[in-house]
Amino acid sequence: MSNNDTPMDDSTDYSDSPDPTDDSVIETNVADAAASTDTTRPPADTIVEARNVDVFYDDVQALDDISMEIPERRVTAMVGPSGCGKSTFLRCINRMNDRIDAARVEGELLLRGKNVYDDDVDPVALRRRVGMVFQAPNPFPKSIYENVAYGLNIQGIEGDYDEIVEESLRRAALWDEVKDQLHESGLDLSGGQQQRLCIARAIAPDPEVILMDEPASALDPVATSKIEDLIADLAEEYTVVIVTHNMQQAARISDKTAVFLTGGELVEFGDTEQVFQNPSSDRVEDYITGKFG
Amino acid sequence: MSTHDFGQVSRTVGTVFRYALLAATLVGVVALGILLLFVAVDAIQPLTADPGWHLTFFLSFVLPTLVVSGYLYRRAPDSLRAGGAIVGLLAVTTMFAGGVVLIFVDIVSPITWFGFVLALALPAGVLALVSRTLSPGMGTSVGLSAALLYISLAGVPGPVGGIVGLAPIAPSVIALVGSIPVLPVDWMLLVVSVSLPVGLLAGSYVASYTDRRGGIVALGLTVALGVAASLAAPSLGISAGPSLLLATVVGVPTGLAVWRSWETNRLALALPAVVVGGAFVGAFAVEALGFAGPQSWVDWQFLTSAHSRIAEDAGLYPAIGGSILLMGAVIVLSFPFGVGAAIYMEEYAPDNRLTRLIDVNISNLAGVPSVVYGLLGLGVFVRFAGQPTGTVLVGGATLSLLILPIIIISSREAIRSVPEEMRQASYGMGATRWQTVKNVVLPRAFPGVLTGTILALGRAIGETAPLIMIGAPDVVFSLPAELSAKVSAMPLQVYAWATLYGSPAFYQKAVPAGVVVLVSVLLAMNSLAIVLRNRYQNEQ
Repeated sequence: MSNNDTPMDDSTDYSDSPDPTDDSVIETNVADAAASTDTTRPPADTIVEARNVDVFYDDVQALDDISMEIPERRVTAMVGPSGCGKSTFLRCINRMNDRIDAARVEGELLLRGKNVYDDDVDPVALRRRVGMVFQAPNPFPKSIYENVAYGLNIQGIEGDYDEIVEESLRRAALWDEVKDQLHESGLDLSGGQQQRLCIARAIAPDPEVILMDEPASALDPVATSKIEDLIADLAEEYTVVIVTHNMQQAARISDKTAVFLTGGELVEFGDTEQVFQNPSSDRVEDYITGKFG
Repeated sequence: MSTHDFGQVSRTVGTVFRYALLAATLVGVVALGILLLFVAVDAIQPLTADPGWHLTFFLSFVLPTLVVSGYLYRRAPDSLRAGGAIVGLLAVTTMFAGGVVLIFVDIVSPITWFGFVLALALPAGVLALVSRTLSPGMGTSVGLSAALLYISLAGVPGPVGGIVGLAPIAPSVIALVGSIPVLPVDWMLLVVSVSLPVGLLAGSYVASYTDRRGGIVALGLTVALGVAASLAAPSLGISAGPSLLLATVVGVPTGLAVWRSWETNRLALALPAVVVGGAFVGAFAVEALGFAGPQSWVDWQFLTSAHSRIAEDAGLYPAIGGSILLMGAVIVLSFPFGVGAAIYMEEYAPDNRLTRLIDVNISNLAGVPSVVYGLLGLGVFVRFAGQPTGTVLVGGATLSLLILPIIIISSREAIRSVPEEMRQASYGMGATRWQTVKNVVLPRAFPGVLTGTILALGRAIGETAPLIMIGAPDVVFSLPAELSAKVSAMPLQVYAWATLYGSPAFYQKAVPAGVVVLVSVLLAMNSLAIVLRNRYQNEQ
């Protein structure tokens, strides 16, 4: 199957895109673009904005001058070949890179206008606003209930945990499968169920942004399609930023797509349909049509 | 060679290598096996029993056990494993119960223990009440619990006041309980201070599988077991206290295991039933038929009497007690420091030259000969700190130093084996480092930490040289009742029998018996560690 026919699956969503031939999409005002591509939803504000972000691991530059604006309550996909820095960028947003001694971030990364790398930002508090789902499902070796309630417990959130757990599992499309085994280990679930459990865990404390680092790459096609449906639903309430290797996946589920290429460059960022149908550079076209990468 | 012929590749060297490895393995295993068998035969003297005794036990105990095991092995290996675990639990808890009884009979009187439990329970109760009604902050509750514990355990103003020179105002709860003129009998105190806490633990275990009602039933049954054992004790010819302790320590864990298996895998109960039933039937049968058992040197007399100049009368009791006390001191001194150091080095310490230096040195310390630790203990605790030689405290502290590096290394190993994804997941949820360590890393690493600690304790319990260096006496005739009393230990006692009293009678009787007891305790500890590790690996 070739890559370049897949965006058509979703083309109805983008059929009234105003200017598919515009080549200068990279620095387009995101709010305007989002408003013009989606007639059914109100214009989206920018929630995360990167301004000239560079990341270094010791002397190796992993990200080179990244600027982009991620719209609220939309799915933004990051695609690119291995080692292009897309995961690194994702981990900058909730400062998970802080855990790596060698990593150094320059530039500004704004969450609702506040630079998350300012000295007065507590990374722990930041991560309570920016949830994360990892590549391999990583539920805790605790019961399903305790897994979902973990964030509520550690963040000291008050409320009816039973209700929040049920609601989160429902949103993660897992409730019907596990409602009779809430107190059994989360590790007894299948891989796809575990990943949905991780999503339920991430949304339980009600974060503003959910980062997903290739959430379906360890799953089979059926489980993958469930996760994809779920992501589309989540975007009604949350901002989802997802890293993926899979071009079709990015085309199917995302509103915005950012293409990173080797060397940590952001070579293209814009509406998904535009990026896939009318990429601005040959390198991007070669990549998304599968000529390399 | 034609192109259709693949030819042959020589495997001669490989085959020789393989059998050489097999030979090496067999030599080691067989040598160890013969050694153990030799000592066991010396100590237990199986050939002195009537042939009828052997035949009876073979028919009632060995044969049914073999048949049931063989059947389960072929049909239901899971049940065999689970049943074996229950039998092992029974054996280990019986040994453990012996140690507990020994402590309560000779070292800690029931009234002291009762006072101690009360002194811990009162602050806990007050704290629970306060936190439920006022919901104070974290700092307040920590301060409050520390203050309450201090008042309860040490009184007002306590040792601190003694140093400053204040007159005592209120005694500690322990002293208060001790000064009550009229007291209920010992076993009633034990029902409250042993059966009740154990029952609460058992209750919460049962409640985690069923509901609140099940937990309350378990609590009630545990207390009832304690009362029943105390009341039935006179007709069995033992005193009420030991009877209650034995019933509680052996009965409750075994009972819980049997209950779990009754709920999940009833076939697993076949093996324990046959083993216990066979042993009882065999014992009654030889009694009824009048067959004499072996003239074992490891007998009740050996386990319960002190050293004597006559080998037949010599016993290991003070040394067993000494080893238990030393182990207690070692656990208290080495576990918090060792595990604390491991957590710090794995989770908090930056990766720099200093930490790497410390790292290498801890590995080196684990290999330092034990006699050097003995010298260190002598120098630091006796010469420098001015402690008397050969006491429980000095011995425990020295052995703690000896196993501290081992505990640190094995705990670090266990902490490191917690997958990085688990930490990532926790940090990604907005957990602080402390929350991650407490909620994710430690629960997952705990079985490994426990396994390493038990194996390290196994090393400590078998050590002789450090105890000799710090001047522990070879022979002690009564159990040390306090930390500053002289202590001996099992290996030291065996060493003394083999050297100072090295007559043929001692060589043939007391020494093998002592070795068998020591090795049994070691094997029990190691099997406990293996069971824990297996359970740990199954969970992963």
